[in-house]
Parts: sequence; structure tokens; C-alpha cells
Amino acid sequence: MIKYILVALALGVAAGYLNNNFGNVITNSWVSGYLFDFSLIFLLFIMGFAFGLDKEAMAKMRKTGLKILIFPFSVAFGSILGGFVGGLILGINVAASMAVSAGYGWYTLAGPMVGQLFGAEFGVLGFTVNFLRELLTITTISLTVKIDKYAPIALGGATTMDTTLPIIVRYSGSEALITAFSSGFTLSIIAPFTIIVIATLG
Amino acid sequence: MLNLIVSLIAGMFLGYFLRERKKINLSKVTLGAIVVLIFSLGFSIGSNNELLSSMPRVGLNALVILLLAVFFSVVLVKTTRKMVKVE
Repeated sequence: MIKYILVALALGVAAGYLNNNFGNVITNSWVSGYLFDFSLIFLLFIMGFAFGLDKEAMAKMRKTGLKILIFPFSVAFGSILGGFVGGLILGINVAASMAVSAGYGWYTLAGPMVGQLFGAEFGVLGFTVNFLRELLTITTISLTVKIDKYAPIALGGATTMDTTLPIIVRYSGSEALITAFSSGFTLSIIAPFTIIVIATLG
Repeated sequence: MLNLIVSLIAGMFLGYFLRERKKINLSKVTLGAIVVLIFSLGFSIGSNNELLSSMPRVGLNALVILLLAVFFSVVLVKTTRKMVKVE
């Protein structure tokens, strides 16, 4: 499984790079836009379908109830704490470092937002940290799932409602679907707020 | 975001109503779609020159912040879910 994912990722990066630098044979938005959206929507439908079929998964979800919210809030708090400690260790602006990690993997948001609030250099950092977070979640999933069934959800942050969701469900099972989706969804909603709050207080 | 939620819920309903049918194996279809998804994700990364060129410059700082953020996230998720007893 992870083999296919890594090969697909490497081929995709190579194809995108070559296409972009040697004459745009394929329209970029066709692959990174339409193909991406279509496969994602299709996957969410399939995963929802598998969840509906699974009797145990639904029973488990009912039992968990509102406790499901501990996931996004643990991830949010853990990420910001990581940004705080990282900022101290590196000797950079601690508030900026915290804002960077409060992107929770959503790099298209964190990059521009942190850039606007803390300057371009931190914008690049925000983009890179969160982009690498998504990449790390995908590439290490077969290892992190062994630490804890829900560790991939912690790694994935806001991305567990879309890009990393199919892979997480593949490794952690159908019962992880709602946990992962709701965690990613909640984090996506609170990401812009936490970044602004950190910038205001810092 | 809305189209994601709609397709997820539509899938759930369909699955729920087809529950008593024969076993349906979706693993091959899912894997195929995941490969397509990850390929197109890679494609958008590879075609983003700005991203590729800025990464080495902030690489070390990014790695330190990322690893700490991920570490504390995993630790907190693991401890809180044991505290509130989520299986």
C-alpha cells in the first residue's frame, strides 16, 4: 500500500515539475484541480459508503459521542505547544513560530496568513512547515499507526478531512472515518482564528 | 468543503441502505483512487516552483517546528484519549 502511495507521489512531483518547466504540455489546473477534486470527492463517497455498511463503526461512533472533540483540541494545543518550544530553541520570534504551527497542515492558509501578520520570511516558513506536515503524514503512516491507532490523525491535523483521510481510513479502519474527518474539519475552522489570536497576543 | 461533506453523507446513506446485501469489496477501487489523488497532489507540488525553491532556505527551522508540533500532538492525543476512555 505505502509503496504505491510513495511511487504515485514521486511520479506526480516529477511529472508536475517537468510539465511546468518544459512547456506545459498538460494544463496544470486539469491535474492539480479537476483530477484532484474528482478523486477526492469520489473517495469520500466510497469511504462514506464503507462506513454505512459497517455496523460496528456506527455503534462505536455513537458510543464515543462528543468525546470525539478531544482529538482536534489535543492536536491544536499540541501543535501550538510545539511551535512555542521550537521558537525558543531556534531563537526566533516565538509568536510567529506558534502561528506557523497553528496552520495544522493547511499550508495554503498558513502561508499567506502568517506572511501577512509576521512578514514574508515567516510566511515561507508557515507554508513549508504545514506543507511538510501533510507530506510527513502520508509518507510515515505505516509507522505512526503502530505508535497509536489515532497517531496519524494527530499528524494529519487539518488535512484529515481531505487529502490524508483516504490513507488514514485505509490504515486505521472505517471506524476512524468520522474521528478523522471531524478532527480535520474542526481544525480547519479554528486554524484562521488561532493564527489571528496568536498574532494579536504576541 | 461543502461538496466533501455532501459526498461523504450521500455515501453513508447508500451504504446504510445496502447493508443487508452481499459483501461488497471496495479495496481495489479505493487504492486506485488514492493513487490518482496522491499523484495529482504531487503534480501540484512539482509544478509550484516558488514552493520548491523556498523550501531549502527555511528547511532546518521548518523541520524543528514541524517535528515538535507533531510530537506534542501525538502525545496529547494519546494521553487525552486514554483519560476520557476513547477506544
